[in-house]
Amino acid sequence: MAGYLIRRILLGLLTLLLITMVVYALIRFMPGSPMDTDPAMMNPDKMPSAEDLERIKKAYGLDKPVYEAYWIWLSNLASGDMGISYNEKKPVTDVIESRVWATLLLTVPSLVIAYLLAIPIGLWSTIRSGKLDERIAGVSLYMLYAIPSFIAALFLQLLFAVKLSGTAWELPLMGMHHSDYDEMGVIAQTWDLLQHMLLPVICFTYVSLAYYSRFIKANMEEVIRQDYIRTARAKGLGQMRIILHHAFRNTLIPFVTLLGLSLPSLLGGAIILEQVFNWPGMGQLYFRSIGTRDYPVIMGLTLSLSVLTLLGQLFADILYAFVDPRIAYK
Amino acid sequence: MTDNNQQPSGALTKATRSPGFWVLAWRRFRRRKLSMLALAVVMCLSGIAVFSPMIAGTKPIVCKYKGNLYFPCLAYFNADWENPIFHKDRFRKRYPRNLREKDPESWAIYPLVFQDPYRPVRDGEWQDKNGDGEWVDRPGNPYHGGLPSKLNFFGTYKRGVDVFASMVHGTRIALLVGFVSTGIAAFIGITLGAIAGYMGGAIDMVISRIIELVMCIPGIVLILALIAVIDKINIWIMMAILGLTSWTGMARLTRAEFLKLKQSEFVAAAQSIGAGPLRIMFRHILPNALAPVMVPIVFGIAAAIKVEAGLSLLGFGAPPPNPSWGTVLNAGTSNYTEWWQIVFPGIAIFITILAYNLIGEGVQEATDPRLADPKD
Repeated sequence: MAGYLIRRILLGLLTLLLITMVVYALIRFMPGSPMDTDPAMMNPDKMPSAEDLERIKKAYGLDKPVYEAYWIWLSNLASGDMGISYNEKKPVTDVIESRVWATLLLTVPSLVIAYLLAIPIGLWSTIRSGKLDERIAGVSLYMLYAIPSFIAALFLQLLFAVKLSGTAWELPLMGMHHSDYDEMGVIAQTWDLLQHMLLPVICFTYVSLAYYSRFIKANMEEVIRQDYIRTARAKGLGQMRIILHHAFRNTLIPFVTLLGLSLPSLLGGAIILEQVFNWPGMGQLYFRSIGTRDYPVIMGLTLSLSVLTLLGQLFADILYAFVDPRIAYK
Repeated sequence: MTDNNQQPSGALTKATRSPGFWVLAWRRFRRRKLSMLALAVVMCLSGIAVFSPMIAGTKPIVCKYKGNLYFPCLAYFNADWENPIFHKDRFRKRYPRNLREKDPESWAIYPLVFQDPYRPVRDGEWQDKNGDGEWVDRPGNPYHGGLPSKLNFFGTYKRGVDVFASMVHGTRIALLVGFVSTGIAAFIGITLGAIAGYMGGAIDMVISRIIELVMCIPGIVLILALIAVIDKINIWIMMAILGLTSWTGMARLTRAEFLKLKQSEFVAAAQSIGAGPLRIMFRHILPNALAPVMVPIVFGIAAAIKVEAGLSLLGFGAPPPNPSWGTVLNAGTSNYTEWWQIVFPGIAIFITILAYNLIGEGVQEATDPRLADPKD
């Protein structure tokens, strides 16, 4: 197991190296630079002189060729330094940290809700398979799955923020806080935040809910035809025990893969939704830093997303050994 | 077999040829009513896409001008297909009046809906016959806040451009994006997957690492980076970018199929009669490996349409003139009270994606050997 882990981690590091190399090269080849996208420098009265530009370039490390700049970035990273954001003049780690909570506030509740609802729905639809109520539930989940989340977001905004404005059902259109959030008491603040969270969390949840529950049902359908389920039935075991103990436990392997794959979506899953809801999270930061060519922030975000993706895969592979004793890593 | 020489009596009995895999799959697919309905929806959308200039537009489908026949509506497919004579005679895209004034003998057949996907129709561009048989000017599109009406079925956006016309022409872009980008993705994915699976060894190792690499970079990151690198983006570059970032799933599936199939007897037989690796890969193995890859291809079309709409919504799509569904959505987000700019394109995108997903589902069930009906 230890040998396998070391091999996997080394391979993962190599993948990370390649990803950061590719992304670094890509963003450095984008036309435009941090200098000509900064609005402060667009002011015709205060056009920076050529020397100033040179000085800024030097300060940003952009006077060096791409491979050298990448090497500097990499060696700084080795000592835990991801660089300083051009926009906010703060370390990238601080910039990301100030945004990550807003994103987690959306993704963690919605993933938890999705899993908590998907497992019972999946199991219930296995039991009721083919019956009218299951068919209706299945078709509606399928329809839900086909609605892109950004369209659901726009429709919900239309309904709750425009159509129902002025009624008790009104919800805020976008953003994270009301404009006078700072003057509110703790309870009012929490209530305000919950109201702002509701629509984004719904949009982020329903796609995964539809996907997970269909996924669980598909795997259960396969297991439920096995001989040992018939044996369990023949023994006279109760429906609940067969479904939970004999069938569901045997679908855990694909389920664990799914868990692993949903790890990166904790940070990167809501990029478009954050933009639609103007939510000050990682996705918005990503869009802004691409727009302003804030290279260190782009690199920092790419790195954290890729690390999370690789960790998710590794985590799933390790969990396999726990849920299935037949799997042993050498 | 018709040449069965083990028949003792000498009388040849003709056995019916057993249907092939794809015939059986099509039979199974046809039995699924929802998938067939979805297929009909996609056919219908393709029809709208192909005939879009004839459904909505301000350029005649066919017109007789100064003794010659022209088809100006083809300009909506490609601006160069508009005959230069209309440019030389200063038509400035206003056909009805110019045709009448510059050649009284001319006649023209106009699209069903006289609205343009690129520009608002102005006052008096079109004339209707009123109750007394007199010609009266039809009013132009409202400059802003154009609710759905008798003249603008789905309302207007962007200073009076007709939403219906934009959506009819946007169908072309939506379907093209789906087909072209998934085509590119399928080509890359199947080729790389086939080479990796068949060749094995170091080549497999390298290709597998590349697949892993691309899979680890979040799709939207790669797409945005590529969009930013390319200075002048148009809808074709957009399709190429979408294709270049979505081939990994198909490559993995193809590789797995090839790994399995290269062990089978028919490959050994082909190798023993001296067939080259390319011939074995693409002539012998690929047709047998295609069924499982078909499913991600169909789902890929739906995903590509979704991503293109999402990017256009965020303002990262191909720049105007580009009447894509996402562009209309994007206009809607700047003013939520003009609901028709969100509701109609939103429904169109939903229906298209749902239809492709249902077809994908149908293909999956129809090609899955475990679900095969023993009666077939």
